[in-house]
Amino acid sequence: MKDMIRWFLLFILSFMLIGGKWAFAGDVGTMLKAMPDPAGAPFYPVTMQVLQVLTWMLHILFVYTSIGGLFFSIYAFTKREERWQRLAKATLELAKVSVSLAIVLGVAPLLFYQVIYDPLWYASANLSAGWYILFIVFLLVGYYFIWGAYFTKDKPSMSMLMSVLGVLFLLLVGFIIHVVNYQALYPEKWVEWYTDGGRTMNASGWNIYAFNVFRYLSFLIFPSVAITGVFLMLYNWYFRSREDMDKDYLDWAGKLGARSAMYAGIGWLVSHILYIFTIPADWGAKGSIFTWLSVLGLILCAGVVFSSQKNPAKMAIPSLLAGSVALLLIAVFREYLRVASTSRFGYSIYSYKLNLEFLSPLLFLGTLLTGLVLYAYAWWMAYQAGKTPKGKVYEASETEHHLGDLSVFIVVLWAIVFIGVGLIVIVRNYV
Amino acid sequence: MDVLGFYPMWYVSVVGSASIIGIIAAFHVLASHTSVGASILLAYLATKAYRENQPQIYDYIKKYILGLLVFSYVSGSITGPGIWFSATVANPRGISALIHNFVWVWAAEWIWFVAEVTLVYILFYTLGRIDQRSWLRLAWTFAIGSWATMYIIVGILSFMLSPGHEKWFTTGNILDAFYNKNYFPHLLERTSYMFAIAGTVGLAIAALMKKDLPEKVYKDIVKTLSYWGIGGVVFGLMFFAWYVSTLPERSHVIIEGVVPLYMKVSIMLTVLIVLTYFFLTAIRPQVARFWISLPIFILIFFMGVFPEEKIRESIRKPYIAGEFVWVNQIISRDVPAKGIESEVPVIDQKGLLAVNPFVPEGLKKINSQNEIMAGKAIAILQCSGCHNVTGSTGLRPFGQKFAGMTDPNTVYGFLASYLRDNPPPYMPKFVGTDEELRALSAYIAHMISKGGSVSAKIEVPNTSAEAKKEVQP
Repeated sequence: MKDMIRWFLLFILSFMLIGGKWAFAGDVGTMLKAMPDPAGAPFYPVTMQVLQVLTWMLHILFVYTSIGGLFFSIYAFTKREERWQRLAKATLELAKVSVSLAIVLGVAPLLFYQVIYDPLWYASANLSAGWYILFIVFLLVGYYFIWGAYFTKDKPSMSMLMSVLGVLFLLLVGFIIHVVNYQALYPEKWVEWYTDGGRTMNASGWNIYAFNVFRYLSFLIFPSVAITGVFLMLYNWYFRSREDMDKDYLDWAGKLGARSAMYAGIGWLVSHILYIFTIPADWGAKGSIFTWLSVLGLILCAGVVFSSQKNPAKMAIPSLLAGSVALLLIAVFREYLRVASTSRFGYSIYSYKLNLEFLSPLLFLGTLLTGLVLYAYAWWMAYQAGKTPKGKVYEASETEHHLGDLSVFIVVLWAIVFIGVGLIVIVRNYV
Repeated sequence: MDVLGFYPMWYVSVVGSASIIGIIAAFHVLASHTSVGASILLAYLATKAYRENQPQIYDYIKKYILGLLVFSYVSGSITGPGIWFSATVANPRGISALIHNFVWVWAAEWIWFVAEVTLVYILFYTLGRIDQRSWLRLAWTFAIGSWATMYIIVGILSFMLSPGHEKWFTTGNILDAFYNKNYFPHLLERTSYMFAIAGTVGLAIAALMKKDLPEKVYKDIVKTLSYWGIGGVVFGLMFFAWYVSTLPERSHVIIEGVVPLYMKVSIMLTVLIVLTYFFLTAIRPQVARFWISLPIFILIFFMGVFPEEKIRESIRKPYIAGEFVWVNQIISRDVPAKGIESEVPVIDQKGLLAVNPFVPEGLKKINSQNEIMAGKAIAILQCSGCHNVTGSTGLRPFGQKFAGMTDPNTVYGFLASYLRDNPPPYMPKFVGTDEELRALSAYIAHMISKGGSVSAKIEVPNTSAEAKKEVQP
């Protein structure tokens, strides 16, 4: 049995190395050290690293509810019962909004990543440049299919067809970004891949060099269902207090979510562990605490979801918290893999050239604080509106009106500061 | 051995990788300007609805927001990262230079992106579900937050063209880089035109809702949009004139001598058509039609925004970022404040093929066997940012530029005098060894003798392992 597993894993490993011939590892360190931008990082790399991990976690959460929402919709559309049809529309709505959020939240981790891991990102993206452009095209097409599904939601078969096409394109998008991130982890093979052993220069950008099915399953497919399952529990919890909502339907949806989260959570855990086994031994990842913390996070999450089966509404918030912890640990593990891979060649983000400056971080901080006031007000009002039964209007309290005034004031004030600073600089430099 | 931080090169024959960025960027400009302009127009209309107690205006606003969600918040929010993605593969070192200088500025813009995207959904779902005063506040924060994305990105775009001041090279101060000489005219020009673009979309939506709205409300909306549109075009033209006056000298040379006349005419014609339409709808709101507004909107894309983006890209040349990174990704001058050194001397001494880690070993040392392929590799690495180097059609093609030059010595003579010793203001000088220039010349002569078009494939006689063995006998 052990031998079978070993051979099976060996097969998967060879699958990972599509076209892979071992490269000239001696030159890799020199190359990696030459690639970082000569401008250096404008702030401490560790800050970029932390922000990258945190914002990726937010981004991937909505990636999961986009894809998971569509999975649920498609399945629910196949059922004739009213509650399934209702669920199909609800999860479609979730997917539609989630794609927008996933896109916008995805900007930040990529931004911080590119500052400290520019060699990895640019090299890998350029190896498969044509596909990288298709990422945008597929996302655009996929998102329009999802909108198509939304506009035809009262025609289940049409809406289902659109949802299927939508999710297929999103999965392709996920496949491309997966490939680019995965290839980035193997700098020792980049030149070999690009030059095909020195015979050519694969400048067309239509080659894909590496893919790992377990990583794809554990980073994208299983968590999509599991996390959307937790969202259904939250759906149950949030709308229960609304008098115009059907409690039986909500309880049913919550239980369905809890059950799905549990089964998909097991798949997530198994595929995650299998992925860990495919990581090359010289990375030392199998003995790392970060690796096993990520496994522990998933076990914790599975445990909480398991104990939520009887009363999903009550356990919705603990499940969300457990899921968030698991996602955070996965995000840390994902980052750890980059460190493990690149340290083999002496690359360390902590020794990245530093051109420290404080004005632009200050600008960011000011904008962040302004944004937080605005977010607090906007999201709170959205929360209250959602709690208000259909046909009724939520009347804001005095405190809420004050918060509203504050948010308008602070956004205007920040614009004035921004423009004012500009005027001072222009006068100083040019007048 | 010296290695410089080049990345694998992506070559798109015929249209060029720059055109891929251009198409995505033009689409994004249209979608984002529609959205930012509309956010302010809609906040203004919502204020009007609240103050004048005209609740039917909210029906119009809701339709417009749905239109924004489907168009701007799908196409716009995907093509935004799309520009970034395409720049990543078309010009990784160019975008990297910007990101390493402006990461926090972009991060600040991201705060507004998140605000914009969440608020547009919140506005859509809460209209009629929360009290009007609260909704109005959300609408104004959405409007100013949306404009914030513009007042941030314009600083980076301006820097791409030029830091505007020699000072930045020695101070490295982010404020000197960001608040550029043409920051304000650029910002005001875009801010103005966005009202015209959003107004055109607004007229299309109003025309579709004509039957559902009371006549007075309909006229009110159309007139408001038309006045904003007229203001947008008129102020846009004024700020454009100011913007042009702040351009660097080389950009003027390019506008006058390189940018084709049809591009300039097409933009002016578009401005004229849009302005006329707004005048007509301001005088007679009934003139507003969906089937007039939509073609005008499409016209704005093809005859206004796309040529404008092409011109903006052209006048940056020979640079891609901050007057220190050339369009072919070579760092061309020192930036003492950042410890950046020009790569030109190293490449001139060692050779472009030798210092690029993604060039096969078998091409690094040029000989009679690999000369043509080495020349092709140089063409792809150094020239394909602006030229189709393997054909006679598309982006400034070699097949046309060198038509008739089948003798390598003739090509060499031309390149040496035109590109190495005395380059025009809009092109980077040739960088590399004399041997490489000869290889490039041999490739071009070979390509022209084959009818001006060859395969983009590079075939290396020896594998890297064999080539390494030859170097180390």
